Amino acid sequence: MKVNKRIIRVLVCISLMFLVLITYLLWFNMFKSKEVSTNSYNKRQWESEQRVIRGSIYSSEQVLLAETEVQGDARIRKYPRRNLYSHIIGYCSQVYGKTQLEMAYDNELVGKGNISLSINEMRKGNNLYLTIIDELQEYAYDRLQGKNGAIVAIEPTTGQILAMVSLPDFDPNKIEDNWSSMMEDEKSPFLARATQGLYPPGSTYKIVTAAGVYDYGMTSEVFEDNGKFQKGDVTVHNYNKESFGTIDIKKAFEVSSNFAFCTLGYEMGAEKVKAEAEKFGVNKSFDFDIPTSESQIQYKRMTDLDAALVSIGQGGLVMSPLHVAMTASAVANGGKMMKPYLVEQVKTANDITIGQTRPSVLYDCIGSTCADYIEDMMIGVVEGGTGKNAQIRGISVAGKTGTAETDSGKDHAWFVGYAPAENPQICVAVVLENDGSSGGSTACPIARDVIRKFLSD
Amino acid sequence: MSDSDIEFGGENMGMNNIKVNYRKPAYLLILLNVLGFGLLFMSKDYNVNILYNGLAVLILFLIMYTTLVVCHMGDKFILLMTFMLMSIGVLILCRINIKYGFRQIIWIIVGGISFFIAYFIYYKVKIWEKLWFVYFITGVALFMITLLFGKTVNGSKNWVGFGTFAFQPSEIIKIMYIMCLSCYYCGTWSKPVLGKVSPKWVTLGITYVFVGFLVLQRDWGTILVMMSIYLFMVYVYEPDKKLLFTNVAALGIIGCLGYKFLYHIQVRISTWLDPWSDIANKGYQITQSLFAIASGGYFGRGLGNGSPYYIPEVHSDFIFAAICEEMGVFGGVAIILLFFLIAYRCFKISVMTDNLYDKAVSFGVTVMFALQTFIIIGGVTKMIPLTGITLPFVSYGGTSIVISFTSLGIIQAISAKTENKSEVTEHEGK
Repeated sequence: MKVNKRIIRVLVCISLMFLVLITYLLWFNMFKSKEVSTNSYNKRQWESEQRVIRGSIYSSEQVLLAETEVQGDARIRKYPRRNLYSHIIGYCSQVYGKTQLEMAYDNELVGKGNISLSINEMRKGNNLYLTIIDELQEYAYDRLQGKNGAIVAIEPTTGQILAMVSLPDFDPNKIEDNWSSMMEDEKSPFLARATQGLYPPGSTYKIVTAAGVYDYGMTSEVFEDNGKFQKGDVTVHNYNKESFGTIDIKKAFEVSSNFAFCTLGYEMGAEKVKAEAEKFGVNKSFDFDIPTSESQIQYKRMTDLDAALVSIGQGGLVMSPLHVAMTASAVANGGKMMKPYLVEQVKTANDITIGQTRPSVLYDCIGSTCADYIEDMMIGVVEGGTGKNAQIRGISVAGKTGTAETDSGKDHAWFVGYAPAENPQICVAVVLENDGSSGGSTACPIARDVIRKFLSD
Repeated sequence: MSDSDIEFGGENMGMNNIKVNYRKPAYLLILLNVLGFGLLFMSKDYNVNILYNGLAVLILFLIMYTTLVVCHMGDKFILLMTFMLMSIGVLILCRINIKYGFRQIIWIIVGGISFFIAYFIYYKVKIWEKLWFVYFITGVALFMITLLFGKTVNGSKNWVGFGTFAFQPSEIIKIMYIMCLSCYYCGTWSKPVLGKVSPKWVTLGITYVFVGFLVLQRDWGTILVMMSIYLFMVYVYEPDKKLLFTNVAALGIIGCLGYKFLYHIQVRISTWLDPWSDIANKGYQITQSLFAIASGGYFGRGLGNGSPYYIPEVHSDFIFAAICEEMGVFGGVAIILLFFLIAYRCFKISVMTDNLYDKAVSFGVTVMFALQTFIIIGGVTKMIPLTGITLPFVSYGGTSIVISFTSLGIIQAISAKTENKSEVTEHEGK
């Protein structure tokens, strides 16, 4: 019967509709549910916190950086140091969610997995103890004088972050009042420049190129520097269009000759320049307590001319200030790049340590003789080269300046250096975004002051 | 034990002589109730009322099921499966608010009574196919009552209240509409109306009149259900395929015009496409529902551990989201599969019956159940735009439960007619 046949077809059609429903439901659960359930509007996320007082965060010298105040039913997250830690700790808002350490250490802060013995008593979350030295952080912050940019200070032998400043910033106490205006702000105050800003590193990258020179046995080369590297359609001038005459590699490093380093990069070729970059962690991401942007060489197919540009920290190469500090730290630490970290300890409310970060090697970048070779040249930069402004009486400082050209025409000023050279205790990277000045004149003194401040305390 | 099972449950099913055990599936339902309500009892501070509610559902089930089996009242499995759905519904309602659970049981009692009343009336009365005019007038009258005395709930003016008692006439109208259409499609109503208008065009006219009323009430969910019933009916019965395509095209055009000029439809479409940009206002309902489903994962947060309170209308339209949160996506899939099984059994009844009017009615009612399920589950999961209708047998709501039971009673009567007829022929054959 025709009608029955059609009824069965309708049954098939309706079965298919139900099948689509089931498939959609499973698909949603597989691919969408994580994103949806972590949406800050999902009140379920805050339920566990209603029964817990979120833990506090302290600097390495036990200065209180974040705490939760209970006012009746309401919880207020307070940041006594205001803007100073906005790009490290982030914020924690019921409306706008959590960022940076507040997000990464959320489980620890709300004490997920802690065993509680009493049911009715308010539970307390765990406290975090950072590696940041509050005094140094504040000093670095003031020393940046409100300019856009970043300062990163690392202990080269352990990877501890001693200070990390990004400007512009925001006040995490007022996040709910100022959210929309900050979202639309052209200066993007929410961008943590030290970890997530990507800049051309300029001549500070010559540290990595110098490692390549050593590794590929090109250390004895001598150049006739006429101030201009010209190959194909690429022309690169030295800074201020200076020419340095006959120079060896050490001299070229000290005066930051683009001619010499472009030539070296061109001679090495794309493959080797890329391989050397990857030894230092370019094109790789690494685990850090807060999100980082991956430093990278942005070419689909890299030519030898591209390699020449990359060798002086231009072209398709971009790096985060944290990563630039890490490359210099690797040189300071005999060629071993330590894994950076921010959180030293996690302790319960009763002061029992439940988490302790131990230093670990991230990459074995170069051999120790190669590191010594580069260090020697970096000391030369500060003693008699472009980095004279970093000199500190009685302490030998090793460093490298950089002035990175940008599309906007205003250069980024760079300096990265460490001290004391014979027994490195601190490595500092400074970048001033679109400052228009040279690294030696503006970034250098800031780094020097931060190093001096640290060593004198 | 197994011997007595067969004696009690054994029944001669037509010519196949298959013995069917009716007791075992009932154990499943008893197990579900014991486990479910027991668990809720323990997680809800040992509130004894929960156990009473669970017990009440079980007793109601046993009474109705035993009556069906003993009195040979047609298909037994549809009721079994609807009670499974209803048990889960009552369980979740008790979990949300024990008052809803209690009232739902009252409605199930009323629904159960109307199930048997509908069964007997439909079984005994033989002139249903001649009454198309009555159905039409009743439908229009109900619409008029809604427009005159109705109150607006959640943007749809589809409730009529008398004091504390309120009901949704559109639920009854759907049944009237199906019975009216069936009059034409079973073949009895072939005389032109008013001398020259063919009944084909009259049914088309009735459809659009009803849809017009529903547009005035802004009851988009019912429009979708009603139009789909019409299209499926036309597909099954109309030899002239042009009518089907013209209607689909007309609906497309009307839909586009509605989207262009009606703010209500625009809001529904835009919150469907992107609810995330306005979570606090327009997207609130659907995003709360998605949060609940996403938080549940595959196996749910556990009965009593979720937070269904955040979802607006969680006891009626959004009950599926609460089920997914606490019983997981697999729980939700189980609900869909139960509906699928019910639809399958009902379609089977529709195919088996020889009476053309019964065939059309059971087909229409089944399509109504299936589409209502699809539309509301698709809506709360954001697969299709959200239109507020109830999930049959699961959602809280007097009209929904009573009318669903009444429709089920009609299907049951149709199934019983077929079964008893085949038994008679079999005896004659012997």
